[in-house]
Amino acid sequence: MAVRDNRKNTPPKAAKVKKRPQDSARLAKLTIQRRTLALLLVFGVVTFLALFAKAYDLTINQFDEMKERASGQQMKSTTISASRGSILDRNGTILAMSASADTVFLDPKAINDYAGDLDKKRAEKMVEGLKEGESLPISGQEYKDLLARKLAEILEIDEQKVNDEMAKTNYQFAVLARRVEKEVSDQIRAFITDKTFTGSAIQGVHLQNDSKRYYPYSSLASHVIGFLDGDNHGAYGLEALYETELEGSTGLAVTAKDGAGSEIMFQYEQYYDAEDGNDLQTTIDSTIQYYLERGLEDMISKYGAKNGAAGVVMDPKSGAILAIASNPSYDTNDPRAIYSELLQAELAKVDEENPPLPGEDHSEAYWTELGNLQNKQWRSKAVSDTYEPGSTFKILTLSMALEEGLINRNTAFDCAGKVTISGEDIGCSNHNGHGHQDLKKAVANSCNPAFIKIGLTVGAEKFYEYLEGFSLLSKTGVDLQGEGSGYFAAPDKFTTLDLACYAFGQNFNVTPIQLIAAQAACINGGYLYQPYVVEKELDKAGNVVKQHDATPVRQVISEETSATVRELLEYVVSDGTGRNGQVAGYRVGGKTGTADKRGTKDPVNNPKGDIIVSFLCFAPADDPQVIMLLTLDTPRRDTGTYPSGGNMVAPTASAIMSDILPYLGIAPQYSGENQTAAEGTVPYVVGMTKEEAAAKLAEYGFTSYRAVGDGETVTDQTPSGGAIVPLGAEIILYMGAEKSGEPCKVPNVVGLSAADANRRLADAGLIMKSTGASGGSGIKAISQSLEPETEVPAGTVVTVQMGQTSSTAD
Amino acid sequence: MTKAEYKQRKRLREREERRKRQEAWEAARGPLDLPFLLLALLLLGIGLIMLLSASFPSAQASKSSNYDPLYYFKRQAMFGALGLFAMFTVSKINYERFRGLAKLGIIVSIVLLVLVLIPGVGITRNGATRWLGIPGIQAGQFQPSEVAKLGIIVYFAESISQKREKMRTFREGFLPHILLLGVIAGLTLKEPHLSGAILIFGMGAAMMVVGGIHWGWIAAGVGTVGVGGYLMLFTDLMAKIDYNAARITVWRDPFGGDLEFRRKYAYQTIQSLITVGSGGLLGVGLGKSRQKFMFLPEEHNDFIFAVVFEELGLVGATMIMILFALLIIRGFWIAIHARDRFGSLMAVGVTTQIALQAFLNIAVVTNLIPNTGISLPFFSYGGTALAIQLVEIGIVLSVSRQMPAPKAG
Repeated sequence: MAVRDNRKNTPPKAAKVKKRPQDSARLAKLTIQRRTLALLLVFGVVTFLALFAKAYDLTINQFDEMKERASGQQMKSTTISASRGSILDRNGTILAMSASADTVFLDPKAINDYAGDLDKKRAEKMVEGLKEGESLPISGQEYKDLLARKLAEILEIDEQKVNDEMAKTNYQFAVLARRVEKEVSDQIRAFITDKTFTGSAIQGVHLQNDSKRYYPYSSLASHVIGFLDGDNHGAYGLEALYETELEGSTGLAVTAKDGAGSEIMFQYEQYYDAEDGNDLQTTIDSTIQYYLERGLEDMISKYGAKNGAAGVVMDPKSGAILAIASNPSYDTNDPRAIYSELLQAELAKVDEENPPLPGEDHSEAYWTELGNLQNKQWRSKAVSDTYEPGSTFKILTLSMALEEGLINRNTAFDCAGKVTISGEDIGCSNHNGHGHQDLKKAVANSCNPAFIKIGLTVGAEKFYEYLEGFSLLSKTGVDLQGEGSGYFAAPDKFTTLDLACYAFGQNFNVTPIQLIAAQAACINGGYLYQPYVVEKELDKAGNVVKQHDATPVRQVISEETSATVRELLEYVVSDGTGRNGQVAGYRVGGKTGTADKRGTKDPVNNPKGDIIVSFLCFAPADDPQVIMLLTLDTPRRDTGTYPSGGNMVAPTASAIMSDILPYLGIAPQYSGENQTAAEGTVPYVVGMTKEEAAAKLAEYGFTSYRAVGDGETVTDQTPSGGAIVPLGAEIILYMGAEKSGEPCKVPNVVGLSAADANRRLADAGLIMKSTGASGGSGIKAISQSLEPETEVPAGTVVTVQMGQTSSTAD
Repeated sequence: MTKAEYKQRKRLREREERRKRQEAWEAARGPLDLPFLLLALLLLGIGLIMLLSASFPSAQASKSSNYDPLYYFKRQAMFGALGLFAMFTVSKINYERFRGLAKLGIIVSIVLLVLVLIPGVGITRNGATRWLGIPGIQAGQFQPSEVAKLGIIVYFAESISQKREKMRTFREGFLPHILLLGVIAGLTLKEPHLSGAILIFGMGAAMMVVGGIHWGWIAAGVGTVGVGGYLMLFTDLMAKIDYNAARITVWRDPFGGDLEFRRKYAYQTIQSLITVGSGGLLGVGLGKSRQKFMFLPEEHNDFIFAVVFEELGLVGATMIMILFALLIIRGFWIAIHARDRFGSLMAVGVTTQIALQAFLNIAVVTNLIPNTGISLPFFSYGGTALAIQLVEIGIVLSVSRQMPAPKAG
């Protein structure tokens, strides 16, 4: 039937079909045609319109999102770390530098996969059987144990820690140790390339190049330099302040990667070069910084200052800070550890008083205290803390009054021990009063009533103008972190009593850095400079990128006024309250200060209240090259030394200055009474006759000698040739006699006059070198470099600090 | 019967046969439908180029392709050439001769589909047993479901064309066809090969519709698919049955779910969307796809059209989609103008199959429908599939040769 049907539809018989139309066949064909047309519309048009609409949405509307997703997975960006700039002192000594250090991390996922592979291989080998000389590969667990054991051993950490990190098998990055030392990373490198464990290199342990910051001088200038946080960004100090300059910019290599993470095809690569950070050359001189820090330490240990000490050494002619220090301090290499013994003791006390909860190392209180103490040791007192300056501020009062022509050298003052202003009694340091005195004396005596009178003469308005002129009302803008600002009464609330107190440095607060900048202006010819520590910024090639511009902000007082101020202040040191600040061979100007700390008086425990003692000095007095301000916060009152800036701070200032001045190449000039302090090098005279030796010694400036024994020639000498000793020292020439091998005992010379001390030391076979005050009445030895009863070889030089211990404040 | 009479009858019979042969030969000597042929060749050419572009990174990186970047391209091109030869050969044959193959074809199809399900006979890949080895040829494999498609096309065309108005009946028109379709689609589903089953079923159903089954059945079928689709896609019914629930969740919100879920179920879809979307309007340029570097899975296979989108952009992909649409329209046009119902139905079967496959493939790539894993005719890698597609094109071309010439005027 079907065949017939077909035949009827074939073209040759078409004519017949037409004659005998078969309705059913025609109808069937029509149905097919109609319904096919419907399919044509559905499959040829409708479905494609739907697809186009969806595709349009994806490629046009969602393009940005998909493109971002695509780039996100296709791009592999590798950071190229920039090397952080160094911090140098002014001589180029490195204070902070970066060196590369590796971070060790695991790829727990890869380790786990590899362990699985090992197990598989092992199982295969077990089935196959071992060939001769072949051993069974280690199992996955053995591999993990091996890693834990070896890594724990090399990194000196717990095996458990390695195991814990390895257990994070969903991750591909787990840090084991950050920034390890080179020896450690070398050991790791050797371990992971060792093929003896598994037959191939160790999988899943990696080293990532990282850098570590080194501070070669640990705690030196720590408050200036600061330190980095865990991500190698500056957290404190210059490191934080100059973060952008030091850090440089991290480079980026963007490469296309495939789904397996490997790089593909070079043409997709894009590089952004890393730019190394710049070096900072500071004005800090690490030698001077060392002298200053040693001085502060010494002062604190002597007088038990509860709240530490601060000091600034500056070049008065540019504002360059040569040294700036605060105590307590910290080790920049380990900033979180409590550094000072005093603070350590405090922490230990808290730890003892607060037992920790079971299972914990320390109590909550301990951690709080640790945080407080860290902040305390990181705080730069010289820049951040304010204080009532006390008498050192009189330099400014003096300067403004002289500049305004309101007083001169001949202005006379009467002091009755106290003065009443607006109904308030204000006492003088000398309760009995200084009596009648000229300006020079009044300054040397640090007489409060005299300065109150000067202040009142200047008047509130002018006084306030000068505060502004010396830039005390605003921050100095020094490039150090966390500069504090002083506080003063508002101009409309500036009372006469305020004025009277301001005149001798009380009732307002300044930071040490503000004060020294203003004081420098008083003695350098009147020019106010902005203090600064970063001299220049150098790129890696050594080109200067930025240079500090040390032009003065303004001239506050005239050259002449400044010269007068210098002269008056030099007198303070040579004959006034600052005599302990004398440095043999140098002309030093200075001013002492003892200031009450407001609100510390307590009738029961602390009837006299806390004080801050300070000393400002500069040298040489006629042409200042260096100016220094030292403060000592809350010294004990029971050390036997009357608490005053002159007694407690000036001797240290003298010691520091006597180191700094020769270091700076400023030659000492000895004259008259301080000739004894001059030093010379002892010549070799062994083998000479007595006369020849005497002549030789005289040639070198040594006039005093003693011959022991009766031989023809000198067989030995004390001190031996080459030693540097004061020219006044007695040289012992042994003429055949045996040099006594007996050690000498150091006598106690504190409290003796210079002559008596010298005699006593000479009798003991020792040589005295006197430092500190040399002129003026009442000068005595206040300390000696070697403890009494110490046994030392004959001819040892004992340094004796000369000074006075007055019982009045300054 | 006398000898002369016998000779006479034999002569007559021989003449009749000669005449029939002559007739058939002459019938097949009409011109090929040039637009259909050209569209098919164009798509084949573009498909090969895109396959080369999409496949070389994984070919280069994989041991199974001997690290030869041209591995897939070369094999595909070889099968393409073979397929073209087969296509022209088939197009030369008078398609009426396929009627005789209808019953044999369907029986062979079912046997093969059963054979592949017998453990140890079929070849399993990625958890699906879809392949049979060709004895004597090493690494020679084919999918019985591909053979079954051809079998269904020929058998349905033959059977439906004979039934004429009886197609409207349930017993003769609807039931036998739907049962046969059910068996073959069911066997394919058992492999499992969801997309193959959908294709076979859709194609068979389309032929039944065109063949003239009662409107009621069409309405019922559309209704069933509509309601079933709605329940599956837009309700939580699937989640309760659990099987395939994840791919529906992924379809609804490909970038949703936690990382683990995305990695496990949504990876293909996410990568495909990124590939398509990042192409934008004009694409990143031919050969410059980055997603093919082991981000996009099955990039030379089911997801090759995503690479087309990425490299050629919306504009390029749309042009290719238009070529597909034109091929399909021309295929149905040939069906409408075919000389007889058998030819029409075979052209409908072939065209529907290509249309369904192209639509489902691009719809999956763009996440218009949930991921079913379906290949794209002329583009996706697969030797037997390509060869059989070309044979099918050859059938349509053969049908086109016998189209009555349009009436003058």
